Amino acid sequence: MNRTASAVIIGGGISGVAIAYNLAKKGMKDVIVLEKGYLASGSTGRCGAGVRMQWGTELNCSFAKYSIEAFERANEELEYDGDIEFKQGGYLIVASTEKEEIQFKKNLEVQHRLGIPSKFLTPKEAKEIIPYMDESKITCATFCPKDGHLNPFKTTDAYAQAARRLGVEIMTYTTVTGIKTENGKISGVQTDKGFISTPIVVNAAGGYSKHIGELAGIDLPLYPERHQILVTEPVAPLQGPMYMSFSMNIYLQQCPEGSFIMGRGDADEPHDGNINSSWHFMEEMAKTTCELLPLLKKLNVVRQWAGLYCMSPDRQPLYGSVKELEGFYLACGYSGHGFMFGPATGIVMAETILGQPTTLPIHTLDKDRFARGEEVWEPSVV
Amino acid sequence: MLEKTGIATEQDLAGIMPPKERLAQGPVAVIECFQRIPCNPCYTACKRGAIQEFEDINDRPVIDVDKCNGCGICISNCPGLSIFVIDETYSDTEALVKIPYEFLPLPEEGTFITALDREGKAVCRAKVHKVLNSKAQDKTPVVSLIVPKEFSMVVRCFSIDDFYSDNTIICRCEEITLGQVRELIRKGYRSLDEIKRISRAGMGPCQGRTCRQLIMQEIAAATGVKMGEQRMSTFRPPAKPIKLGALLGGDDHE
Repeated sequence: MNRTASAVIIGGGISGVAIAYNLAKKGMKDVIVLEKGYLASGSTGRCGAGVRMQWGTELNCSFAKYSIEAFERANEELEYDGDIEFKQGGYLIVASTEKEEIQFKKNLEVQHRLGIPSKFLTPKEAKEIIPYMDESKITCATFCPKDGHLNPFKTTDAYAQAARRLGVEIMTYTTVTGIKTENGKISGVQTDKGFISTPIVVNAAGGYSKHIGELAGIDLPLYPERHQILVTEPVAPLQGPMYMSFSMNIYLQQCPEGSFIMGRGDADEPHDGNINSSWHFMEEMAKTTCELLPLLKKLNVVRQWAGLYCMSPDRQPLYGSVKELEGFYLACGYSGHGFMFGPATGIVMAETILGQPTTLPIHTLDKDRFARGEEVWEPSVV
Repeated sequence: MLEKTGIATEQDLAGIMPPKERLAQGPVAVIECFQRIPCNPCYTACKRGAIQEFEDINDRPVIDVDKCNGCGICISNCPGLSIFVIDETYSDTEALVKIPYEFLPLPEEGTFITALDREGKAVCRAKVHKVLNSKAQDKTPVVSLIVPKEFSMVVRCFSIDDFYSDNTIICRCEEITLGQVRELIRKGYRSLDEIKRISRAGMGPCQGRTCRQLIMQEIAAATGVKMGEQRMSTFRPPAKPIKLGALLGGDDHE
């Protein structure tokens, strides 16, 4: 199988299929998506699937707001025959230190400037939203009713089906083994199923983005970091919003089908692509949850799993072209929020590849910002 | 009882069952012939002399299980359709049951049917392993079925319809029907994990203990990729559901 494409997108997660959909919608023909497993088999399908507008930088707030508004319309816009199961139960983000409370107030100012309907809550008001929380553990909270949760498999499926209808070819179980360049330009992609001639390659490979960079001879300042999640048996509706704390390092929500999904960060997680499960996580997760939300100690855990964050030095994505290699584009380094930025990634990447002005600004998110000392730090991540 | 219903009782069967040790060694014929009638083609058909010579043509056949190698020639030669070959060594969990079958249409190899017991009651789902219908069978085809081992001495006939219908729930935790799984396979979801992720089959409290096998069977039936060659999903802790509170250790023994 030797063939030609206008653009090859590496990675069949939310980013890859959303970029392909937008390119095809804007009229590009012969777009190919390459995925080494099946769609959403990597970070997208392993994520906590929460989406929120409550961020600390204007940039993240606007990317998130754009994406959440797109998720609200997605079933109709993508003409999906299923349901992406978007539940907007809100995010309750709690502060447990004074320093955190000051940061939250700053975040709210940024959010309100952009028209995000978030609000400040006292511990008592927060307890009205999640009655079984131990409010003595917190100093304040913020809440945004537009935040929520959706099904990452179905969302990816919705984009993939829409992209296919527009002529995009999605090749699953196809591994990229090399990227060919000529005179500083992309000329093709070698896969285990043959060679594809193309002037454009998009690196949307999630946890494997650094490796794809290496195949193109481009050193990317990224590393994969394992993050773990557990899920409980389904129970009757208990909790509307996501419960999240940055300082206590936890996020926890009830999915529409009734199970609770919860995860936490850990400074000691391996950086080598390992996605095995650890007992340490299970214990720590149980400890934090039972302390903050005591009622939940009765829930039965049915499974834990792990996936990879693609970490960048400032915890922000790398978007756009690479000056050393013409035709090589980056959509990676999300550091844990790639799924929720999917629709925004799709549109800005398609626009930048086609040389159009971007709907949202991405010029500060190029790969060389670190060399220039222009990192864009986000204060609010787990 | 046998005279009235034509169905062998446990007592009837006790006298003709091959010993467990013999069953563990490989295929062997089981002759469920309980009536004295003038008939001896089984004896003349067996080339190994495993079916002993009849003193009186009305005698019931007696088989020497150590001489029998389970070749199955006697199956088609019995006018009463009362000989079966049982192979309990087919796999760790499954046995082969070879059955004389004189109905039309014949089942196709690889399809699923409803296995029946001696009374004609549905027992389980079984897969058709082979259909022998050459000159040697002389219009008494022999169908071999793959059945769960515990049913090797129960299944003695089958009906050609699948034991499962599109409405059969195959993931009980998430209530996913066979019809839904078949539809997903038709749409192009071709591995256990793909089906699990798009439908939630296997995501419930039992974590796929029942549906995993059944979904893989369906994928095999639809795509021809054998179960052993399909991609398995990842096994993750905990092995069985455990309360968050129990993970804390300490005093809480709820």
